[in-house]
Amino acid sequence: MSVIFHNRLVSILFSRRSSKAGVVIILAFLILIVVGPAVIPYGPYQTSNQVYAHPSLSHILGTDYQGTDVLSQLVWGAIPSMIVGILGALGAVLIGLLVGSLAGYYTRYEGVLTGFTDIVMIFPPVPLMVLLGTIRPASNTDLIIILAVVLWPPIARSIRSQVLSIREMPFIEVAKMSGMRDSEILVKLVIRSVAVIAFAYFVLTVGAAIILVTGLEYIGVGNPDIVSWGSMIYWAQNFGFYAGAWWWILAPGVAISLLTIGFALIGFSIEEALNPRLRTT
Amino acid sequence: MLNLVFLLPRLVPGSAANVLAAGYGGVPEQVVASINARLGLGQPLLVQYVDYMKGIFTNWPPYFGVSYAFYPYTVSYLVWIRLPFTLMLMAASFVLASLLSFLLGVASALRRGSKFEFASMYSSIIFWATPPFWLGLLFAWIFGVDLHWLPVFGTGTFNAGAGTSYIASTIVHLVLPVATMTLATFGFQFLVLRGAAQQVLESDYVIAARARGLRNRIVAMGYILRNSMLPLTSLLGYTVSFMVSTAVFVEFVFGYNGVGDLLVDGIINRDYPILEGGLFYVTLLVIILSLVGDFLLLRLDPRLRR
Repeated sequence: MSVIFHNRLVSILFSRRSSKAGVVIILAFLILIVVGPAVIPYGPYQTSNQVYAHPSLSHILGTDYQGTDVLSQLVWGAIPSMIVGILGALGAVLIGLLVGSLAGYYTRYEGVLTGFTDIVMIFPPVPLMVLLGTIRPASNTDLIIILAVVLWPPIARSIRSQVLSIREMPFIEVAKMSGMRDSEILVKLVIRSVAVIAFAYFVLTVGAAIILVTGLEYIGVGNPDIVSWGSMIYWAQNFGFYAGAWWWILAPGVAISLLTIGFALIGFSIEEALNPRLRTT
Repeated sequence: MLNLVFLLPRLVPGSAANVLAAGYGGVPEQVVASINARLGLGQPLLVQYVDYMKGIFTNWPPYFGVSYAFYPYTVSYLVWIRLPFTLMLMAASFVLASLLSFLLGVASALRRGSKFEFASMYSSIIFWATPPFWLGLLFAWIFGVDLHWLPVFGTGTFNAGAGTSYIASTIVHLVLPVATMTLATFGFQFLVLRGAAQQVLESDYVIAARARGLRNRIVAMGYILRNSMLPLTSLLGYTVSFMVSTAVFVEFVFGYNGVGDLLVDGIINRDYPILEGGLFYVTLLVIILSLVGDFLLLRLDPRLRR
């Protein structure tokens, strides 16, 4: 991306305490995923006879009903939950950016594109995802596609309204008069102007995407035998609940909440920076 | 002017029904909704498509086939007997969450920059970020398993009988699911409302009202609250869509016999008629309620009546 975009984003990210906290949380998770598999001496599917072990030095987050280390499940489970959520949100933002800027800039496509956006948007996301996800056993790639398909309409809408106001600005007029083609203006000027806000939507959508994808894993879309944060909660509910294994129930939920809060803090700070009316102090 | 350009597309409620109904003229609601539903569903069932459409359009209640798992009940029957429970859950949580976010929203709009605003802002982010199913699980664990205060499973006691005891057991079984849904919806609504309230707070008429010496409370109730209700009303359909999604998770956690739990059963049994019919009905619900939202918005906002 352009230098302006980069500088503006960096200044937003590091000028506020809340977004700094968000960056720290996300970095911590990334470090956990990268370093974790090398450091933790247990595999995520490795069973042992130490079932329901309380958190201790050898098992920092305890073990589950099969004696599997909860921390290693948390680290390995991040791939189908956190990474899928991030990529799904990225797909949604790309579709939203494309549809939104086309609908906002070219008046002749507007009716078709906004109509299409409204139609997809009217479906409640989870029932729609459930149906899409059960057509065949959902792999991680399927989940990413499903997330993108379900999450793009609100983004497209907001991008469109941004583009509508940018289209009327003097610098676009100048560009038109100077003989730039419409497609050039769209790519070089319009999309660049909405890039920061698109990034804010991306960050906020990641949060929603992680909750949705873990939810789907939890209710059984996708393979419950593959370790993910959602399937951890599923098994913890079935086997940890009455065994009083609080560490097993808490770990995946806290991980999801913390990560989502991290993304939300960044997203809301960017929104605040772009829209000073929201500023708290 | 720029604000208006920015706001107007957001104030126009997001229902495809508007677009479609405008295009087709006097088409009944169910038809519009089933066109919507069909658009998402047709592809993998292309062969059965024609029969399928016939079943839906020529029958009342629409015929989505017979459930695989609950043979010989039809999908419509299964949805209809469970719908009241889901509606009860959603209505109760909607009312509670709206009240909560209104009170906190206005209070924090009046005390900008205070600890109170800070606290309500961050608590709404936390509830927005917490997966509803896990929150429900925690509640079930604390209030059900640990404290034994409330039941954690089902919609009512099996042999509750009829009359008062039946109603009492239904209500007791609603408490935890409603609490979970309320907090999740609160997180969502508060963040919408806060943006709206701040916008209203800076507007000329609020400043003018303050300048005229009106009391804080009067400004809050008469000016800020009324005007910040508008975006929440116009987002009614979107909120319902969010709540339907949350309800799927929450009902599954508590084994609450609503439409959401039926859908999850549908996943486990790969019960496609249930999944399709269920999606149809909840989408219909969203469409109807967003039309209600549009209607209310017209009543609330004289500016839109022109």
